[in-house]
Amino acid sequence: MCDWCEKYGDGYERWYFNPANYARRLYKIRKEEAEALGAEANPQAAGGMSVVGRDFLEARERGDMAEVERVKQQIESAMWLTHCGQVITLEEALKIVDIMYPISLITCTCRRSMEGLPDEENFTCMGMGAGMYKWERWPDTYRGGVHFLTPDEAKEVLAKLNKRGLVHSIYTFGTPYLAGLCNCDYPDCAAIRTVIDLGIKILWKGHYVAKIDPELCNGCASCVHRCQFRALSFVPSRNKAYIDQFQCFGCGLCATECDQEAITLVERASLPALANVW
Amino acid sequence: MLPTITVNDEKCKEPISCRKCLLICPTHVLGLGTDVGPQKFREIDPSHFIVRAVRFDKCSGCMDCVKVCPQNAIQLSFSGGDAR
Repeated sequence: MCDWCEKYGDGYERWYFNPANYARRLYKIRKEEAEALGAEANPQAAGGMSVVGRDFLEARERGDMAEVERVKQQIESAMWLTHCGQVITLEEALKIVDIMYPISLITCTCRRSMEGLPDEENFTCMGMGAGMYKWERWPDTYRGGVHFLTPDEAKEVLAKLNKRGLVHSIYTFGTPYLAGLCNCDYPDCAAIRTVIDLGIKILWKGHYVAKIDPELCNGCASCVHRCQFRALSFVPSRNKAYIDQFQCFGCGLCATECDQEAITLVERASLPALANVW
Repeated sequence: MLPTITVNDEKCKEPISCRKCLLICPTHVLGLGTDVGPQKFREIDPSHFIVRAVRFDKCSGCMDCVKVCPQNAIQLSFSGGDAR
């Protein structure tokens, strides 16, 4: 079972469907904890949104796996308490915007940090919950301003971002307080990049695994560019798409693009070898 | 092999509007940060933005960032020496 659902699900099908995890009460706890940790952190100050320093890359380079593992665990345990995420499908994202309030469309701090993307091109991130009312305190975090959205407007935006090929994921700000609904891609999303390039799990795989029906797949390959996790490839000799289910994060972007409905999402929990692959 | 990549902040004035190096790097090694940290109630002035190499493990040594910089602010070398 997903650790997060186990700890914070409270009987709901998913932990991110549990309204208690969006509660203002948790936002206040988050503030106290963040301040106790001395973490009034500006992610931009770190430069390029990296959670690892050069030390980690050097240890990897010289093959010091014990050190790599030590730092990895240190980062993961800190991030799991403060700021981590899980991939969700479009359908799940649409459901979430009916639970949380308020919803705001903001600029993506990762893309600003990796591309210097101008604000007007960068409205792909959603901030939610009580903290958003105080956005003006941190004008730099919210460069470009904030657009508050109705649930219907948010759904429209999410569908458009999905069409563009961006992966939806939900993030904690002081776990389990959920306050970010990100729409991301490799390599400029810090979380996707960190998990894919460095194997540091600050972004967890989602509750689904994509599966191709080889009878229905017509080999058009339109799904292939949709995968941000290197799980999807094309097999010319069979003229079919191929999904590495152990690498699949279950975002469903390949499925929403397939005209033939050849890709379905299977519950991770239903696959014994994948049930605990997060 | 990890490179040494340095950016001269005196020469690199407003990377958030220039961003040539960020966009040319084939493997997105460089990142943008600020030299002032969190600023409550204040938007950070563009002059406080800085470029730093972050994803050293992905640098191929193509030197495109060095060549594209209009201010000649980036130095990149492997094994300590100045490769320029």
